Amino acid sequence: MSADKSTQKVTLTSNEGTNVEVDRAVAERSMLIKNLIDDLGDEAIIGGAIPIPNVNDPVLRKVIEWCEHHRNDAAQTADDENDNRKKTTDIDEWDQKFMQVDQEMLFEIILAANYLDIKALLDVGCKTVANMIKGKSPEEIRKTFNITNDFTREEEEQIRRENEWAEDR
Amino acid sequence: MSLPSRRPGVGGPATKNSILQTLQAAEMIDSKAVLPAEILSTILDYLPVSDQIRCARVSQRMREMVYEDSRWVARLRSMGCWDEAAARRRFDEAMRRRAASNAGFAAGRGGVSNNAAGGAPGAGAGAGRGGEVNRQSLLFDAGLEEERRKVLEEQKLKELKEKEQQQQQQQQIAEVRDGFETMKVAGTTHPTHHDPSTDPEALLQVIKNARSIRGLARQEYGKIYGALAPFYFDLVRAKTHTDPLVFKVFRDPERQAQMLANLRAFARSDWAEGASKREEKVDTMTGIFESAVLREFEQGYEFWDVDGRMNKYAHVLAVLNESNTAVELFIQKHPIFTDREVLANSMDCVNQALADSITLEPSRRFFEVLAGKVNEQAGIIQRIFPNAGDVFWAFVDKVREDIVMEYATPLFDETHERSIPSYLKAVSGLFEQMLQFLRTITPPKGAEVQQGVKAKELALKAFEPHLDLYLQDETDDFIRLAEGQVGEWEKKLSEQEASAESFYMGSFANRQADKKDFLTSFRKVVMMPVTVLPTTLTAFSLPSLPLGSPFASKPVSSTANGSSVLTQETAYHGARVPTPPPAPTPAPAAASDVLSPPSTIDRDSSNSPLPDKAPTDELAAKAALMTSRLEGIKSLFSIEVALSLVHAAKASLGRMAVFIQLGGQAGEEAREQCETIFVALLRILGNKHVKPGFDRAVVHLSQYNPREVSEHDKGGVAPLVTFIELVNVGDLISQMIDVFYEQQLAGPKIADRNDFMDPAGLAKKKFEQMLDESVAAGLNKGIDVLMDEVEYICATTQLPTDYNPGGGAGAAATAAGGTITPSGANTPDPTSTTFDKRASTLTLPPGTLDMDIGPTRTAQRIRDLVASHTSMLVGSTDKSMLDVFNGEVGLRLFAAVCKHLKRQRISTEGAIKLIADMALYFEYIRTLKNQDLLAYFRALRELSQIYLIDARHHAKEMATIIADGDRFGGIFRAEEVYEYAERRADWFQVRRDVERAMYGLECCLM
Repeated sequence: MSADKSTQKVTLTSNEGTNVEVDRAVAERSMLIKNLIDDLGDEAIIGGAIPIPNVNDPVLRKVIEWCEHHRNDAAQTADDENDNRKKTTDIDEWDQKFMQVDQEMLFEIILAANYLDIKALLDVGCKTVANMIKGKSPEEIRKTFNITNDFTREEEEQIRRENEWAEDR
Repeated sequence: MSLPSRRPGVGGPATKNSILQTLQAAEMIDSKAVLPAEILSTILDYLPVSDQIRCARVSQRMREMVYEDSRWVARLRSMGCWDEAAARRRFDEAMRRRAASNAGFAAGRGGVSNNAAGGAPGAGAGAGRGGEVNRQSLLFDAGLEEERRKVLEEQKLKELKEKEQQQQQQQQIAEVRDGFETMKVAGTTHPTHHDPSTDPEALLQVIKNARSIRGLARQEYGKIYGALAPFYFDLVRAKTHTDPLVFKVFRDPERQAQMLANLRAFARSDWAEGASKREEKVDTMTGIFESAVLREFEQGYEFWDVDGRMNKYAHVLAVLNESNTAVELFIQKHPIFTDREVLANSMDCVNQALADSITLEPSRRFFEVLAGKVNEQAGIIQRIFPNAGDVFWAFVDKVREDIVMEYATPLFDETHERSIPSYLKAVSGLFEQMLQFLRTITPPKGAEVQQGVKAKELALKAFEPHLDLYLQDETDDFIRLAEGQVGEWEKKLSEQEASAESFYMGSFANRQADKKDFLTSFRKVVMMPVTVLPTTLTAFSLPSLPLGSPFASKPVSSTANGSSVLTQETAYHGARVPTPPPAPTPAPAAASDVLSPPSTIDRDSSNSPLPDKAPTDELAAKAALMTSRLEGIKSLFSIEVALSLVHAAKASLGRMAVFIQLGGQAGEEAREQCETIFVALLRILGNKHVKPGFDRAVVHLSQYNPREVSEHDKGGVAPLVTFIELVNVGDLISQMIDVFYEQQLAGPKIADRNDFMDPAGLAKKKFEQMLDESVAAGLNKGIDVLMDEVEYICATTQLPTDYNPGGGAGAAATAAGGTITPSGANTPDPTSTTFDKRASTLTLPPGTLDMDIGPTRTAQRIRDLVASHTSMLVGSTDKSMLDVFNGEVGLRLFAAVCKHLKRQRISTEGAIKLIADMALYFEYIRTLKNQDLLAYFRALRELSQIYLIDARHHAKEMATIIADGDRFGGIFRAEEVYEYAERRADWFQVRRDVERAMYGLECCLM
């Protein structure tokens, strides 16, 4: 209470049990953690660490790195989600660099962002993935996402024909 | 995400492959993180359409995700072509169809096909399968639509192909003429080849034609995408404005514009990465196109090529977007704003009029010319612009700003400096003309609906800067005018005061009879509006308009419609009201006034077929007489001043009332100012004019001393008659105000009659209250004066022999002298004159006098005096006040008569006269219809009988009567009756007997 919010520290524990201490403001980029702190009160987090069991150590560090960088971003409002136009904003340079990781790590970050409820990070991740599969053939997409083809050749052909209008020229 | 499990039912040859695949996949799952469906769905959102569709080919689940309707509905909606209501309607229709067919099916199965009512239970039974069937039917309907579409499209396709080939050939020829690019055009038109909707017309309409069907949003979007995407991406790739396909496929600007508009809409449904840049590009291209079109429009404008280029390019611009560039250009450069013919000089209004006044004729011509021009332009605008209504009003607004205000403002400024009245006239008149102008112009078709609203809006805009100042000035001017008028009147009065006062007092006696006659007719006249007021409000006060109204046209129409409603009574007012204005004519002119009204009446009665013309003439004549005869109370207050004040107020109100129709805040302000004027009118008229008049009249009354006035035979008390006249005039003014309020304020809803906090209503109440109070105060004094007069008459005219004829002349003379001396000692002259008179008139011997058993002259005079005053008031004040007045007069009369009686000597013979007198009073009191009063006078009548008793022989009976309290209704106690009995002429002879009779019983007992 008395301590300034910005200097307050929060300890997070990854699934390997490693503790990471971060500024409270940084941790609160995650809506999950923010709500948790709000619910439990300040006292609860001063003593004990917050376990993040679904996220492993490297990913957690990566996520925290992102949060540190974006600690001063304006908190987003709920109604942003409905506006399709908002999605068109391009990924900024820092984020692009940040996302230059292997695909596994990328997916892990997305999952962690999803779990920790960090909307902006999730968006950046999804956009990165979207860029990745842009212009790829269905087969390549399957490989990327590790999806089995459960269409017959005819079915697949039919879908292609159905949507000829959308084909690139 | 899908697990790498082998699906059963996969065909034989594929099995070997699938095992391998499964193995590979199984390896991958360990090494790779797998994203949950909702994240995949989010990722899909960020993909361009083509990639989304490719994803649909990845697996069943991905296809479901991509095909999901909401995804496509969102895109349609972003283009503004998804109509949720239409979609719902379609859906409901489908549901109904399904329910109907379902019911029919159930009924048929139930074997109750004969029974019409069988459908209902069948439907109930079918409801169980609702959910399932619902989905089926939905799919079915969607399928149906699809089928229908396909059939249609195939037909179209054939036609199209032919058409397209033709067109292509043509285009090729065209391109060939240009020399190059043939290849490119052929190549670029190619992709549209396989899409059914490549007909250029269909391309243009594709967004408009999109339907909102649930379950088919993807297909609908597909159609649009297929049609527009090639152009869109081509446009985005284009380097210069000559490159884009849009400008090559479509040659004429209308279609290019349509297509660009479509593409702009389409760009809104593109939200993949880089969309903003693409949209920017589209906008840039559109901008280039737009400015080119605008240039064409401008050129057309310069040549005034209305139906050709202007019309064409205005439509192009309207199609392209709803931008106003062409409209702005059109209005900005319009020749009307430099037209010498229109731009009149507003100073004409001042220069053409006499000094310090204003004529609105030039401005009327100005607006007339302007209306003509604007109407002309309305036609042109309609020929040029597709959205003529909006353009027209924008144009009129500009006209308002640049022409009307340029015209009006200098005029207002100038007149404001020169003279306020003409400024007020100018503002109100111009406003009226402006509103008239706005209402008479004929907007292009489709824009008429909003004309009323627009007219008000524009008029308000034009006059807003002047409104506050105007309203303030109007009120100030009225107050100044009214106060000036009252002040001037008072100044004149004070100059004449001394002489007028003496003249008034001197001439009064001669004109007494006239006055009374006048009062009778005047009261009749005044009574009229009270009874017919509700029906004839307009008829009553409108004819008085011409005097002060600046709107010469108004009264004509109002009299016209007023007279159509006129009934018999209204004709009285029609005749009466125009006559008060002649009031200013001095007394000598009165005679001619009496003659002149018939002409007025003829005018009125010619309008309304009136059977009864005579009373109209009579009343009109009397009304004219009234005017001249009111001279008598001129020194108190003047109905003429009141009338002119009311007219001034009416003129101001009339000017301001036109602003009320603006509504909103401005209208409300104008309304408030109207009320303020009314309040000011009442304040000035009431407190500064009427009230001082009443006060002066009351002072006159209180100064009245009957002994100082020589003439008493005229049957009235001079100041009281004056005062009652005043009450009548005050009442007339009050009624005038009431009518004014009803017609000018409550009628047009300026003041709310039911709102007790309304300032106008409050002021009116206050005014009426003030009038009532003044009247009450005056009447209070008036009663005193009247009673003084009564007592004076009693004291001076009652002969001692009246009630005591048998007493002998000498005895009577001493008795009378003894009685009168106390009051008459100070002023022996009147007494002696009356005695002289009596001596001269009564030449008959006393014996003959006995034969006359009627009431005495004194009693008659008193009765006449009181009765004339009480009847004068009837109808001039309210009933309750009149009752109080009459009651008080009666009581005081009673007291006076009693007092008088105690001074007389009454013989048995004289008792007959006394009884006659008392009966006379009683009869008079009965006309007042006041039961309490009647009791007093009945007692008095009873009392008079004690003088008739021959006490010498009937002392006992007399004693009984004296002691009989019930006989006098409790008015007189026995002691009092005894006192009266003492006034018997023979009292000293009978006293012993009577007293013995009264107390005799006791004596006997003793």
